[in-house]
Amino acid sequence: MIGEFIVDKRHFFNTGVYDQQKAHSSFTFSPEVFLENSEGIFHFKGKLRKDNEDSERNLIDIQELYIINILDEREIKYGISKEFWGVTETTHRVDVINQTDYTEAFDGEEKLGQPMIKISYERKWGLLDIYALFGFRERNFYGDKGRLRLPISISEKGVIYSSSSKNKRTDFAIRWSNYFDNLDIAISHFSGTSREPIFLPSHEKINALIPRYDVIDQTGLEIQYLIDSLAIKAELISRSGQGDRFSAATYGFEYTQVGIFESRTDLGWVVELNHDDRLESSPYVLGTRLSFNDVDDSQILSGFIVNNKSKEIGFLLETSRRVGECCLLSVEGIYFDDRDEDNGQQKLFQAIQKDDFIRAELIYYF
Amino acid sequence: MKHLLNKGVAYFTYSLLIFTSLDIMANRGEEIAILSDKNNDGFIDSSSSMKMDLINKKGDVVSRKLRFRRLEVPDDGDKSIAIFESPRDVKGVAILSYAHKVEADDQWLYLPALKRVKRIASKNKSGPFLGSEFSFEDFSFQEVEKYKYLFLREENYLDKPCFVVERIPLDPYSGYTKQIVWIDKKNYLVQKIHHYDRKFFHLKTQLFKDYRIYEGFFWQPHEIEMINHQNGKKSVLYFDEVKIKNGFTERDFSQNSLKRSR
Repeated sequence: MIGEFIVDKRHFFNTGVYDQQKAHSSFTFSPEVFLENSEGIFHFKGKLRKDNEDSERNLIDIQELYIINILDEREIKYGISKEFWGVTETTHRVDVINQTDYTEAFDGEEKLGQPMIKISYERKWGLLDIYALFGFRERNFYGDKGRLRLPISISEKGVIYSSSSKNKRTDFAIRWSNYFDNLDIAISHFSGTSREPIFLPSHEKINALIPRYDVIDQTGLEIQYLIDSLAIKAELISRSGQGDRFSAATYGFEYTQVGIFESRTDLGWVVELNHDDRLESSPYVLGTRLSFNDVDDSQILSGFIVNNKSKEIGFLLETSRRVGECCLLSVEGIYFDDRDEDNGQQKLFQAIQKDDFIRAELIYYF
Repeated sequence: MKHLLNKGVAYFTYSLLIFTSLDIMANRGEEIAILSDKNNDGFIDSSSSMKMDLINKKGDVVSRKLRFRRLEVPDDGDKSIAIFESPRDVKGVAILSYAHKVEADDQWLYLPALKRVKRIASKNKSGPFLGSEFSFEDFSFQEVEKYKYLFLREENYLDKPCFVVERIPLDPYSGYTKQIVWIDKKNYLVQKIHHYDRKFFHLKTQLFKDYRIYEGFFWQPHEIEMINHQNGKKSVLYFDEVKIKNGFTERDFSQNSLKRSR
């Protein structure tokens, strides 16, 4: 058995808008087993998280518990797993198989395990994955004492499902992907309970919202085209079942300069734009990654997120390096600048405007 | 005037001779490279485990471990997968490469924490591999068509009679302007390479040691050393558990197969 033990300390510069504490810390334990032979694979990965301030961040999750049976004609995965769909770096539009572990990282990169059967066919015409997804997991949200929380508290009780089977519904998904020289393409469709809720005012509690999970149909398209060292990327979705049919897209490019100033250091650039029919604004992201290519794999990431309408800016700086052979240390800081002026536009950062923080995380691998 | 004309003719003849001999040298260089490349033809597939020692100026050593699988592709470059085992934070990270004879190779990176297969857009493979003195380029297969050759001379290296051949990478993204290669005359195995950087400086020396033969024809060096003369560091690769004809198929080298590697 292998695994990770993670200590995470966050320090916020101000008391929160909702009087939340400045110092937060959490511990995560994640054991893992991986076995393989020529006919198949067994994989288990668990996750236990304990937060000292916000009990809503406590988590017990099975991230992976599956077997893969490799047959001549196809490959079948049975069990709980995580599946990633997509090509863009900052926002993942088409990625719908797993519920987001929102309280782990509010960028939506962390996911919860999903029970499934997946059948994969790999042929000359590409890769076809067919999924049956059993049961549904609610999204977790920061509690009232948590930082980076939403402006109104989310009620755990009375979650609404549009499906009569509630969280027991079996959902289906299909995805085809292939590449032709410099073009990567994938088309997917998901029919089932939306991982992303919409919120309704609670009738029982004042100033609280209840998540509603509708049954949706979502078609996704992923495109990536390479021109020399430039990758042009786009993810588009069209969704029905959550009010009017709407579409959303993330598109942009990624470019890496290898060996800047005749050094060993690489500099990567990411620019991504967002469009969502449901939002007035179209936030964009500019990111850079400096990779020093040293023995400790030192890196510095920086990113700006800009809300074009309200002129709000979020800035992130993250640095990470290996410590010895067993550990990885990362330190990140996030700063939100909303300029405090009311320009009559929808604000993205209003509830978290005092949530600038610095975070240190040490991962110990055993 | 006649004198001048004579001189002109002499010059013309002389340059013709030079060009012809350059041509012969180029042909001979390429012939040696082809014979060296043909050496391992017909291995079908191979697997091995590797340890890489990164040694700094002071002599401090850190080690990396990886597994390597390769599939011979007739009429194109080979397919290969490198899976990292240590250090622990990159365990399970894998790189899939489809080498091509002339055009740029295709590469994909698998990130197990995100369960994501990502196409590597950069055609520039001059960057360091896992923080070592080897570049990604040093790990890719040296298809004959990717270089222009010039036979230089014959000389002994470590008491082995060798051909010395200069090769110039045709890939505009290569980090090297030229390489001098020592190939032994008996088995056509690469013994040593001098790598010259973009400013034509002798940047690195690569030594191939401990060649062992498998199934009577497949030669594998069990130690490859890369010395960087600019920063005084060196990296040494040790091969173990070398096996050919494992019965791998194309499917074992697909983007989807990366998701099963750990």
